[in-house]
Amino acid sequence: MELKSFNLVIGPNGSGKTSLIQSLLRLRTLSRLAGETNPPPREIQAEGPTIEFRFGVPNESAVARLSCVSEMVCDQVEFTGVDAAARKELQTWILGIRAYLFDHYAMAESRVETPGLELAANGANLSVVLANLQKTHPDAFGRLQDELVRIVPEFVSIGFQRSGNTVQLALKLSDGTGEVTAENLSQGTLYTLGMMFLAFHPTPPSVVCIEEIDRGVHPRMLREVRDLLYRLSYPADFKENCPPVQVIATTHSPYMLDLFKNHPDEVIISHKHGTSAHFERLSDREDLEDLLSESSLGDMWFSGILGGVPEE
Amino acid sequence: MKLALLSESPADELAVLVLAEAVLGEPIHRVQPHLRARGWPNVAQVLPPIIRHLHFRTEAEGLIVVVDSDDSVVHTEEHEADGYFHPHCRLCQLRAVFRRTIKKLPPARGRERVLRCVGLAVPAIEAWYLCGTDSSVSEAAWIQGQKKGYQPYTRAELKERVYGTSRPSLQHEIDCALREVQRHRANPRRLEADFPGGFGALARDLRDMKKMARAAPRPD
Repeated sequence: MELKSFNLVIGPNGSGKTSLIQSLLRLRTLSRLAGETNPPPREIQAEGPTIEFRFGVPNESAVARLSCVSEMVCDQVEFTGVDAAARKELQTWILGIRAYLFDHYAMAESRVETPGLELAANGANLSVVLANLQKTHPDAFGRLQDELVRIVPEFVSIGFQRSGNTVQLALKLSDGTGEVTAENLSQGTLYTLGMMFLAFHPTPPSVVCIEEIDRGVHPRMLREVRDLLYRLSYPADFKENCPPVQVIATTHSPYMLDLFKNHPDEVIISHKHGTSAHFERLSDREDLEDLLSESSLGDMWFSGILGGVPEE
Repeated sequence: MKLALLSESPADELAVLVLAEAVLGEPIHRVQPHLRARGWPNVAQVLPPIIRHLHFRTEAEGLIVVVDSDDSVVHTEEHEADGYFHPHCRLCQLRAVFRRTIKKLPPARGRERVLRCVGLAVPAIEAWYLCGTDSSVSEAAWIQGQKKGYQPYTRAELKERVYGTSRPSLQHEIDCALREVQRHRANPRRLEADFPGGFGALARDLRDMKKMARAAPRPD
């Protein structure tokens, strides 16, 4: 499967959406452990699974191959097609891969203020990283705040409540009646703030994987979520001056899928067959244009004609 | 006038509101703001319950609905003939949904029915936004393209021309939509001339509705 700048992965539970993301995280982990040269050759399990990663410009000739040395040990990574300098650069890029599955309980917690932190995989340190962003990149923080106020107009600004060395996010209400601390914010607002942090941070990860991007968000607000993630993938379209981030997002929402009617090339359908699965890009379907004249993508997906539905 | 508006997005809604006010020459009092549909064919599916809701539960005098034609049949003068119905024209289909729905409804809230104002943006609402700045974009050009089997522009190209990208943020879409429709605020005739089937039909519906409302003033 060739991944694009933006990828929305849909499919039934257990069809490999998370596994796709985990494979990227494994590549990152093994790349970090591998160092600057390939490990001494070990006997690869001939019939064991392998995952082969290829890359875009300027590393289009590079291949990273993950393989198993035994039934239980799959920790072999080998880079080919790159010289030492390019490999180092590629590994730096790979180390920038991040995956997020936000947890609103964790996101709402007060945390110790620590400079230089990046957003945790579950968003647990959201308050800290936002407070850091305000200090280190006030312009980016200001634009993030403006966007939040536009999307959630009941708030007028992002503030922080500090106690000892801990900090907690608190959004100021636009009617002047006070602040809403993170623990009292809605799930959707916290998840959106997490995505906003990624979208507006001047030095984002190289790849952002986010699971269940529709979670906790009203169907009418899904367009805003999509736009936030597009901001990462296509920064120039949003007048952002930062490198594009490859995004891999998953959803179970037909309403979210509807938003990709004009860009079916950005949708990957995961088809489940018993305990195996395969991926297919929606735009590879030749009759898609005809189908779209009759129904919405979301309805077609639910109906089963696009695949990516549970086996019954 | 008290009107409701069913649209696909906040950007479409704001733009159509400006255009409808331009045609009517008076401000619209919005009833039940922010009715949304998820594009075609969802518009046709949700329309009957929306009409019923507006009829029985609101003071709406009319409902404005605008959909994109995409690649479907363009509404033309031929479709306006009495009793004519083109099964592949979305505007004809929406009018049929209106007819079928309101004929079952008894008078309510002092009026016979919620009046129909249906428009068809050919092939998408971005074509209306370009009216007056891009002379290559018109219903005639699109119909000619359909006949020849070669479209003069794609929907993605129209988006690029209006927004500078095929992936505009919602706010950027709203800003551009409002900027473009300002040209027609004083006089929407150019839009009616370049888009006679889709925008012209909407304008006629709006003017008919205004006449009917004046002819039969409703009790407060």
